[in-house]
Amino acid sequence: MFGPFRLTTPLSGGLLWKIPWRLSRHQKYRHRERLRRIDLVISTLDTALARQGQTMKKVERWKADMPTEQEMLPKDKYTVFDRKIKTYRKGIHKVPKWTRVSQRLNPPGF
Amino acid sequence: MPYFRITLLRSSIGLPRKTTATLHALGLRKRMATKYLPITPSIAGQIMRIKELVDVKEVDEAMTKQQIRDARRPDPGFYVEKRATTGMMV
Repeated sequence: MFGPFRLTTPLSGGLLWKIPWRLSRHQKYRHRERLRRIDLVISTLDTALARQGQTMKKVERWKADMPTEQEMLPKDKYTVFDRKIKTYRKGIHKVPKWTRVSQRLNPPGF
Repeated sequence: MPYFRITLLRSSIGLPRKTTATLHALGLRKRMATKYLPITPSIAGQIMRIKELVDVKEVDEAMTKQQIRDARRPDPGFYVEKRATTGMMV
């Protein structure tokens, strides 16, 4: 009845492993927290290197190109571009390993 | 001398081999492992590659393994006022 091998429809009936089309608000919240955590890592690197009198191209490029969590539009935060979908957008939770990859920019105009 | 305190929060299972190799190079073998590494562009570049997986702080002093263990040890809840004298047993 319980446990990892319980008989549920997704487990017993072949291809029924559905991902909801949109994120729940708790998923969104955790996603924002993750984005903010990455922003924090970048700013830590930047200040630490600046204190040593050094800069790094990779960090500078990230700061120039990538919007921070506050600057991002909700559209870019929770969805990504996908050419195969009618509206050209799908939920970010459909991206493989989406909690551990940075996906902030989308093609302009989409 | 300031250091980066790097803690691995998320595992690299299923991520590209370069990510795993970077963690290996930094000496982060398992989750919640902490490393103190000097602040250099080379270390910063490696952190950039694994930024989604780690927590990074800038600290003034590096802690040894023993110091980290001692910091984690909970308060015993008692203190020793006086030890029994060993002279009684003779």
